[in-house]
Amino acid sequence: MAGKKEKKAFAERNLLIILVVMWVFLAIATKGNFSSWDNITNLIRQSSINGVVAIGMTLIIITGGIDLSVGSIVGLSGMVYAIMTSTRGDFKLSSFWGIIIALAVGALVGLINAVAIHDGKVPAFIATLGMMTLVRGIVMYVSSGRMVTGVPTEYRQFAVAEFLGIPALAWTWILLALVMMFVLKYTKFGRNLYAIGSNEEAARLSGINIRFNMYAFYVVAALFSGIAGLMLGTRMAAGVPTGGQGYELDAIASVVIGGASLSGGVGTILGTALGALIIQTIRNGGNLLGVDPFIMQIVIGAIIILAVFFDQFIKSRKKGEGLKKLFKRV
Amino acid sequence: MPEVRTVLELENICKTFPAVKALNNVSMSVKSGEVRGLVGENGAGKSTLIKIITGAYTKDSGSMLFEGKDIGRNSPLISKGLGIYAVYQDVMVTPDLTVAENFFLGHQPRIGPFINWKKMYRESEKFLDEIGLEINIHKSIKELSIAESEMIAICKALWQKPKLVIFDEPTAVLTRSETKILFKIIEDLKKRGTAIIYISHNLEEVFEVCDTVTVLKDGATVGTYTTEELGNVDKLIPLMVGRSIEEMYHKTATKTGQELLKVENLTGKKFENISFNVKSGEVVGLFGLVGAGRTEIARAIFGVDHFVEGKIVVKGSEAAIKKPKDALNNGIGYLPEDRRKQGIFLQQDIDFNLNIINFDKAMRGGIINYGKAHAQARDYVEKLSIKIGSIYQPISQLSGGNQQKVIIARWLCKNPDVLIFDEPTVGIDVGTKSEIYRLFGDILNSGKGIILISSYLPELMGVSDRIYVISNGKMAAEVQKKDFSEEYLLTLAMKNLVSKEKIKEAV
Repeated sequence: MAGKKEKKAFAERNLLIILVVMWVFLAIATKGNFSSWDNITNLIRQSSINGVVAIGMTLIIITGGIDLSVGSIVGLSGMVYAIMTSTRGDFKLSSFWGIIIALAVGALVGLINAVAIHDGKVPAFIATLGMMTLVRGIVMYVSSGRMVTGVPTEYRQFAVAEFLGIPALAWTWILLALVMMFVLKYTKFGRNLYAIGSNEEAARLSGINIRFNMYAFYVVAALFSGIAGLMLGTRMAAGVPTGGQGYELDAIASVVIGGASLSGGVGTILGTALGALIIQTIRNGGNLLGVDPFIMQIVIGAIIILAVFFDQFIKSRKKGEGLKKLFKRV
Repeated sequence: MPEVRTVLELENICKTFPAVKALNNVSMSVKSGEVRGLVGENGAGKSTLIKIITGAYTKDSGSMLFEGKDIGRNSPLISKGLGIYAVYQDVMVTPDLTVAENFFLGHQPRIGPFINWKKMYRESEKFLDEIGLEINIHKSIKELSIAESEMIAICKALWQKPKLVIFDEPTAVLTRSETKILFKIIEDLKKRGTAIIYISHNLEEVFEVCDTVTVLKDGATVGTYTTEELGNVDKLIPLMVGRSIEEMYHKTATKTGQELLKVENLTGKKFENISFNVKSGEVVGLFGLVGAGRTEIARAIFGVDHFVEGKIVVKGSEAAIKKPKDALNNGIGYLPEDRRKQGIFLQQDIDFNLNIINFDKAMRGGIINYGKAHAQARDYVEKLSIKIGSIYQPISQLSGGNQQKVIIARWLCKNPDVLIFDEPTVGIDVGTKSEIYRLFGDILNSGKGIILISSYLPELMGVSDRIYVISNGKMAAEVQKKDFSEEYLLTLAMKNLVSKEKIKEAV
């Protein structure tokens, strides 16, 4: 059967091919250093925090919006946890309550984003740009710009914990991605997301409650950032005031490389996950090859643009228009 | 009058898309000062042909001569340079600029490097005056109504003094008085010796405005006829589909039964004191001029817009409808008028588009059972004989008529007691139209009721059992089937009209 199912699989297959080619190349170029089990698990662990943020970002980009505040939420949730649980702090709560409060605070930021965007009609870019600065300010203020240490031991141990030889952080990402893949495909919540993202008015006329769903998307996205903040905190073994800074850009890049459309209605969790792995593979491989980190930055920037360029190229080639015509005219 | 010469000559044009032969040896020629109608069902190849003329598509074979010269390679730029202009259904003007700026886009009058605003406004005003349009040139396009902005798009084409103008469904969103202005513009163009190609599904209009008609069917020319030799619409339809107009409006008699929906004294922003009812087995028509408030009433009943006063009674008990979900739960469905903006999910596949309100039927414990969902989608695609490759095909690949059928399928699968159809056949070919009317019969036979909103009177009168006429937001009258006539309904529709509209009507 022709059509979308095949086309979708096709787009993700391309990403998978790119990833495998990169891995094979790096394995050979680094004489097996890259393909060692240690390095591969390390790569997945490094991808996992951005990967979790990017899951939330995928939801927001499918709605046709964008969320620039995710990096600040990462910092906020890690900081809130540290302050709540630190043995040197005022609260000295258990890890459980630390996590609950950290995630709740993160979710609250998502809710405020949603209210500003849906009810206040503030463009998502502006609302979340403001929120990014605002939340970072809060993180700096409550921590006085200093690291907060003294977090519970089990928190610190989570970062190095492994199950079946795979880091717990990686498991967290994999499980969350699998759950969201299922949710987007098999629940009304997921179907509503694509409906609202492709045509909000048609979704409203289909009886979908736009406000409730938009709130839910932003809250869920913020929750993922909150989880990522805790994951980062376990690695740092502290609340770091600058934690998560710039993460929004990696997340957006992963989603876009993963094939989502910034105009909404299109995007998949699997694509985003592959996008996150591709970005991290470039960083990790570049490191092993001893490429200048500044050069790496140039390469990653170029790849973001090229990914979207090729996506457009394939789309326009399918219509028999576009580039071909452009070249003809020149 | 300038000397008559052949402006456009197409010979044996062929165009093949993957899997479809869109045009097969199409030939036609248009003379200066001639208005040529181009008719055919959706998918007959009209759009493809127009896109080849304007250079948006390249032809596979055949030749195109413009003013006797062979145009080998064509492109939108080349065709514009030749003086070919097309006015599309989708209004293509820049919404944030003023009317005057739109006219002068790309060639603004200047004093040195600066724009001469005075001259721009003066000339725009003069131009609109000549045409007889009363539109404030200082307004930005987005402040205008859809109809007004389309008129501006048409004027913009005329501004360029073209040699060939192609109108693609120009009247779909125009009121009767605006249509009259358009026809006057076409008349003027004719006098100036411009060749015109006029595409419309409204065949009465084709007869009103065209000198000759070319009929396309399945990508081939059936023939070219003068409107005189054809005489009337009934002769044209069989050439397009092999079906007469009587057959199209065929309706099996159904018994009307219990009252399904009653609206009492409904008052909203654009309408007041609206009362009417719908019984099972009947089609109730809502008629009114564009802007009379028909769509607003429908939207209020469906819970999209809030109403101030009045009540909605569903099967004898009052229903609290505050949002579309409430309407759905009360067995009311609404098929919106603007398919592209309000109906379809363009990036999604047919399955998604059909199931979006029907996942409930294929769910267990909050989880969608895709086996069931796909099965019900296939079932309805088959029931409505929608021509598709597979249900996983993006809906964007379908023709307008088939997209509309998918949306109707969405609602038939939902199976509400009362289904409101808002302009369901605008921009849809005759064949699909008659299939939609056939579906109306199926809906009625299953004991449901239909509210039909349509500006196309022959359709409304042919399909409805009763018609409520709305005039300027107020209920003008309820008209029974035996009293249907176009004059009577139009008179009622203009009953409460403000004087401004009357002046427009007199143009």
